[in-house]
Amino acid sequence: MSWREKRKKKWKYISNRVQVLGVLCLVALSLSGAVQLAAAKTGADVLFTTGCLTLLAGAALAAAFWGWVIRPYREHEKVEKRFLAGYMFSEEDLERAVLTPTMREQMEMMEKIIRSPQLMDLNKRQAQYLALQNQINPHFLYNTLESIRGEALIAGLSGVADMTESLAKFFRYTITKVENLVSVEEELDNCETYFGIQKYRFGDRLQLHVEYDPDEWEEIMNCRIPKLTLQPILENSIIHGTELKIGEGNLWIRFRRTEKRLVITISDDGVGMDEETLERLNEKLNRGVDAITQQPEEKQGGIALANVNNRIHLIFGDEYGMHVYSMAECGTDVEISIPVVTRLEQKEEHV
Amino acid sequence: MNREIFRMERVTYRENGVTFLKDFNLRIDEGEILGLIPVNGYGLNAFLKLLEVNLPLEDGYVYSRGELINSWKDSKRTRSRISVIGAENRLVETLSVTDNIFVLRKGFRQEIIHTGLLHRQLQPFLADIGMDIPADVPVERLTVFQRVVLELLRAVVFGQKFVVLNEIGALISYEELDKLHEILRHYVAHGFSFLYICLHYEEASRICERCAMMSHGRILKLLPCGSAENAERLYAAEYKKMVRIHMENRQEQLKERHQVFAADHLSGEQIQNLSFSVDEGECLAVQILDNNLFVELRDFLLQEKEPEGGAVLIGARRKQNFSDRRIAVIRELATRTMVFPELSYMENLCISLSMRVPTLWLKKSIRRSIRREYGPILGEEVFDLPVSSLTERQKYQMIYTRVQLARPDVVFCIQPFKGADLPHRMHIWQLLEQLMDHGIAVVLVSLNLSDSLSMADRLLVIGKEGIQEVLRKDFPTLAEEVPWMEPV
Repeated sequence: MSWREKRKKKWKYISNRVQVLGVLCLVALSLSGAVQLAAAKTGADVLFTTGCLTLLAGAALAAAFWGWVIRPYREHEKVEKRFLAGYMFSEEDLERAVLTPTMREQMEMMEKIIRSPQLMDLNKRQAQYLALQNQINPHFLYNTLESIRGEALIAGLSGVADMTESLAKFFRYTITKVENLVSVEEELDNCETYFGIQKYRFGDRLQLHVEYDPDEWEEIMNCRIPKLTLQPILENSIIHGTELKIGEGNLWIRFRRTEKRLVITISDDGVGMDEETLERLNEKLNRGVDAITQQPEEKQGGIALANVNNRIHLIFGDEYGMHVYSMAECGTDVEISIPVVTRLEQKEEHV
Repeated sequence: MNREIFRMERVTYRENGVTFLKDFNLRIDEGEILGLIPVNGYGLNAFLKLLEVNLPLEDGYVYSRGELINSWKDSKRTRSRISVIGAENRLVETLSVTDNIFVLRKGFRQEIIHTGLLHRQLQPFLADIGMDIPADVPVERLTVFQRVVLELLRAVVFGQKFVVLNEIGALISYEELDKLHEILRHYVAHGFSFLYICLHYEEASRICERCAMMSHGRILKLLPCGSAENAERLYAAEYKKMVRIHMENRQEQLKERHQVFAADHLSGEQIQNLSFSVDEGECLAVQILDNNLFVELRDFLLQEKEPEGGAVLIGARRKQNFSDRRIAVIRELATRTMVFPELSYMENLCISLSMRVPTLWLKKSIRRSIRREYGPILGEEVFDLPVSSLTERQKYQMIYTRVQLARPDVVFCIQPFKGADLPHRMHIWQLLEQLMDHGIAVVLVSLNLSDSLSMADRLLVIGKEGIQEVLRKDFPTLAEEVPWMEPV
């Protein structure tokens, strides 16, 4: 590292800058005192000149304090406050953490821990585990078996075969496939498989609609998204939305592409939620660190959403993510916004 | 591929420690008119402020045409290229139409202004939207509708592709609103985008394909417009119940009432031979189709202008104007225009009563008696609070109680629901009902029927062509979509 770089790095931190400015203040005060003493001794009238000089030095020091200390300190504090509020910080945020070198190292360490591959894997495994756990919970299993039995009784063995195949396909995708990013096509395929299984339980009461612009279909299908992004949300929509509704329930998966983003909306026309629940849910989604640290204690819904959102934040940054819209009796929309990633290199860059 | 014109992503905005927007998400595409319905008004002003200026955010990101323009990390406090058109006039009133459109443009560098040339340049823009606005008149002489169109035109000329229309429905008549919608559709076809803020789902349904429901500083949900099912869900069950109970009570109350007020061939510059009457405890909705007529009638009511002909009858007395203790007027945006912050709550409350009881300010006992009587209704604490610190609800209550104390025979309410969100509209409804219960006739003067009709016993439609009276039983035959008509 060159001398210039070393100096630049040294003065990056407020702690070092304050030292320099403190010394400058002392020098300025001493000089001013010395000049006045000299003037008093000689009897010369230099009060005006020293006054002007003091004023100028004061203004320069105030400007230096503002630009060099106060402003960066405020930015640093903002980053810290956000972290304490549960937001995760990115590398860009770290550049704004300039209080002391030790503090910076400390934050880097925290960032490393949060973004460590182990945690990512843990997170992914949690998603897989949750998905698996949700599927093998007694209700799901009983209902599925009940449906299989009904099918077997009424229509012979073809239905049983279909269901078994769907289940096998679903588990294979959920557990075996290890990539972080998969194509939209694969995710959608998994959603349809999952929905096919649920159809055995709900019958015609539940309908899934996939909406997209036909001109963009191929492009959208080639986009890469984190694995197990759509299915947990679809499951949430069924369990917390349409299942609680009397009568027919509809689910929509809508794809929209802009220049830079892929926006996927999973909607249901179910019971929706009240304002307070919606506020809590969106708050939970935005506070990424909370989502990591509090998962084991959370018992109520929203874990799946927080988990998916957390992975999007980790992979693509906090400019992307998920937002939930809902009103009581008006259904729920879960909007996922992720960057358009299509090529393999881009994919590797993000993983 | 969709092109996003504007996007707010999880925006949290605070001012002086108070959170006005929380996890606010909104997206508007190119060539779209998106409705925004504030279920309650909390955070709306902060949102409008953020649209215009990139103020520091607590969290979130703001994008314009896909580019990041503001974020919690970096706020430049720059002005956005977004026009907000609403009740407040953003044009320079003393300058002419062309000056406002061309000369005030940022890139206008000519040192000599060629008025004739500018007039000629304006004509294709006006012809494009089928409007005829005189180019050389100062803006102050334009009608509200012309001013709104001009602001829109200015945004177009300035190249601002995203325009916000804030509660325009309350400013202009139905016919003008239809014309404005036509103009908006024309610009949408040319890639302009609009955020259409209005208080009613029905109004949004006339122009938008989807609308965002906003409450407590966040977007709750985006709904497709025009769905009767959605309209049904949006209005709170308690409100429907309130309307139903009101209608049942009204049938009983309206039997055998005597006339308390009549206008007899009132005439002015715009209004010609306006005649109508209203009975004790009756609610009459007056819809004015033309803005000029509305302005003139408002001026008559506020005594800013004297009628040129005709008279008003109060009981048995015939008068040339509306200056009478038995006629009360509640102005537009009453919580702003009828509250005197330098006076105490009691002084604000009794300001109209002093006309009826001249010794009010001399005798403490009268004021004590008022406090005893109204304390349980208004809340004891409000009497000791500075008026400026009252909530909107408390202000509405104070103003309507002030009118009630003055015991007029008739109250003219000029656009009483203007600017009020759903909870406040419900409250205004209750306050108006209280006035009627005291036998006071209520005349709701407005440009559109959105809230007035469901509480009215009769409707008077005043247009350039004349006056049409519609009885309550014929309300369902009205072509306009009217909220809360279902329970009737």
